[in-house]
Amino acid sequence: MDVASFAGPFLPEILLLAGTLLVFLLDVVRVRRNEVVGAVTVLGMALALLFVLADLGFAPIAGLATISSGGIDTVPSGTPLYAVTSLGLVFQAIFLLAGLLVALASLSRPSRERGAPIFFGLLSLATLGMLLVAIASDLIFLLLSIEITSIATYLLVAYTRRDARSMEAAMKMYIIGALSTTLSFFGASLLYGAYGTTNLYAIRAVAGTGGYPVLVLLGYGFLIVGLAFKATLVPFHAWAVDVYDGAPTDVTAFLAGGSKKVGLFAFFLVFLGPVLLARTAPSGGPFTNGAVALGPVLQVTLSVLAVVTMTVGNVLALLQKEMKRMLAYSSISQAGYMLIGVAIGTAPALAGATLQMFAHVFMKGAAFLLVAGVAAWGVGPLIEDWRGLGTRRPLTAVAFALMLLSLAGVPLTIGFVSKFVLFSAAVQAQGYFVWLAVAGLLNSALSVFYYARVLKVIFFEAPAPRSEPLGVVAGASEPEVLPAGGFGYGRATAIALAVIVIVAVGVYPQPVLGAIQAAAQQFVSLGP
Amino acid sequence: MSGLPIVGFVGLSAALLAVGIFGILTRRNFILLLIAIEIAMNAGILNFVYFAAYTGGTAGLTGQAIAVVLVGFAATEVAVGLAIVLALNRLRGSINVAEATELRR
Repeated sequence: MDVASFAGPFLPEILLLAGTLLVFLLDVVRVRRNEVVGAVTVLGMALALLFVLADLGFAPIAGLATISSGGIDTVPSGTPLYAVTSLGLVFQAIFLLAGLLVALASLSRPSRERGAPIFFGLLSLATLGMLLVAIASDLIFLLLSIEITSIATYLLVAYTRRDARSMEAAMKMYIIGALSTTLSFFGASLLYGAYGTTNLYAIRAVAGTGGYPVLVLLGYGFLIVGLAFKATLVPFHAWAVDVYDGAPTDVTAFLAGGSKKVGLFAFFLVFLGPVLLARTAPSGGPFTNGAVALGPVLQVTLSVLAVVTMTVGNVLALLQKEMKRMLAYSSISQAGYMLIGVAIGTAPALAGATLQMFAHVFMKGAAFLLVAGVAAWGVGPLIEDWRGLGTRRPLTAVAFALMLLSLAGVPLTIGFVSKFVLFSAAVQAQGYFVWLAVAGLLNSALSVFYYARVLKVIFFEAPAPRSEPLGVVAGASEPEVLPAGGFGYGRATAIALAVIVIVAVGVYPQPVLGAIQAAAQQFVSLGP
Repeated sequence: MSGLPIVGFVGLSAALLAVGIFGILTRRNFILLLIAIEIAMNAGILNFVYFAAYTGGTAGLTGQAIAVVLVGFAATEVAVGLAIVLALNRLRGSINVAEATELRR
C-alpha cells in the first residue's frame, strides 16, 4: 500500500494530529497566546471538515475528495480495522462541527485564563479519537478510539487544575470512565471467544455458527453497559450531571455536544448488525443460538433503555434550580431520543437519530457556550440569576431562547425536524415501536415545562439589582470588556453560527436531511 | 488446545472482574481504586489470552496481539489516573474519594 492511498481516508485525522503536535510544540517554544494556539486548532479542524465534506460529495468542493468513490460504502474484504461509510463521514462532520464550535468560542476566553496550549491540544486530540470511531470496523479499534477521546477528555476536564470543582469532576469522570472501559473490553473479549474474530463485518457474517450462546449474550450485555456509561443512558448517567456541572463550561459544551455521541455512534456500529438481522429474519436469523434470538432481545433492551433515559432525564431536569445542571439532565434525555434510532434499526429511524445528534451539537453545545459567556460576566449558577436578561441583553436572550425552543422541538427549528423524522420512523416501523413515538412525544411535551420556565425568568421577571453592568469580565483585577457584545468575536461567531443552523435547517431541512437519509440507507444495506 | 475447560477459565476471569468491580465500588483511597481498576481490566485481557489459545492458528494470533495492546493501554490509563491523583493531592492534601463532595448538593 503506497503512502498516498493510505493517507486518503486518514487525511482529516492526520490534519488533526498535526494540529495537536503543532500546538504542543508551540508550547515548548513559549508561544502560548490564546488567539495563536486557538487559530492553529481552528484551522486544522476547518481543513479536516472541508475534506470530510468533499468525501461526502458536496457539489462545490467534491473535487477535493481524497477517497475514490469505490472506497466508500463497500463491504471490506478481509478483516481490516477501518471501513469508510457515508454515515461514518456524516458523523465525522458532526464531530468536527462540535470541536470547531468549541474551539471558536474558546478563542475568546478572558485573557487571565491560562493553559491555552493544553486546552486546544487536548481538544484536537479528543476530536481525532472521535473521527477514528466514525470509521472503525473492528471492535477493538472502536473501543481504543473511544479511549483516545476519553483520556483526552479526562484531562480536558482537569486542565484548570487549581479549581477544586473541576478536579472533582475529573476524578469522578475518570473512575466511571475506567469502569465502563473495563466492562466494554470484557464484553469484547467474550464476543472474541464466541466468534473467533473482533471484526464487526466478520461477526455479522459468521454469527450463526458460534457455539456459545451464553458468551454472545453476556458479551453484548457487557458492551451495552460499558457503552451506556459513555453515552450517559439512565441508569448509567449519575456521573454525567456532576461532571457537566463541575467541568469548565466550554469543556462541558464539548462533552455534551461532541464526545458523548461517540458512545451513541458505537451503539450504531455494534448493535445494528443483530438488530438488522432481527428485522430481515423475524425469528432472529443467524443470531439465533438455541432458544434465544439475540436481535429481538436487543431491540427490547434498547427500547426500554431509551424510554427510561428520556423520562428520567426530563423529570430530573424539571427539578433543577441551576442552569448547567438543568441543561445536563436535558442532555441525558436527548440521548434517549437518539437511542430510539438504533432500537428500531430502519434507515429512516437511523436518519432521524443522526439528524437529532447533528441538531444537538448546535442546540446543546452552543447553549453551554452561551452559558459560559454569560457566567464570565459574574452571573450566578442559578436559573433565578438570569432574570431580566431579556431586557438587559436582548440579542443574547433571543439566541438562548431559540436554542431552548429547538431543544423542546418547536416547529421551524432544527429540533422539530429531527424529532419529526425520528418519531414518524417509529410509527412506520409499527409493532411496539409506535409506543416509542408516543413516549417521545409525551417527553417532548414534558420538556416544554422546564424550558418555558427558563424563558419566563429571562423575559418576564424584573432584573436583579447589581452594581456592575453585564458584559464585563468578572473577577479580573482591572475591568476587561470583550468585544462583540461582551462575548468576544470567537464566541459570538460560534453562537451566531449555531443560531443560523438551527433556524436555516429548521426552515429548509432538505439538503442536510437528504444527505443524512442517503447515508443511513447505505449504512443499513451494508453496515456491520 | 481445544481440550481446555472453557467454563473454568471464563469463570476465573469473571471472578477477577468481580473482585475488581467490588474494589472500584468500595475503595475510598484513589491509589487502591487504581489497583482495583487494573485488576478488573486484566480480567478482559486474560480472556483474550485464553480464547487465543483456545482458537489456535492465525485467528488465535489476533487475540494475543490484542492482549499485548491492551496491556499497553491499561498502563496509559493508569498514568492519567496518577496525574489526577497528584493534582488532587496538591489541591486538597488528601486522595480520599469520599471527601470530594462539592458537586452533589
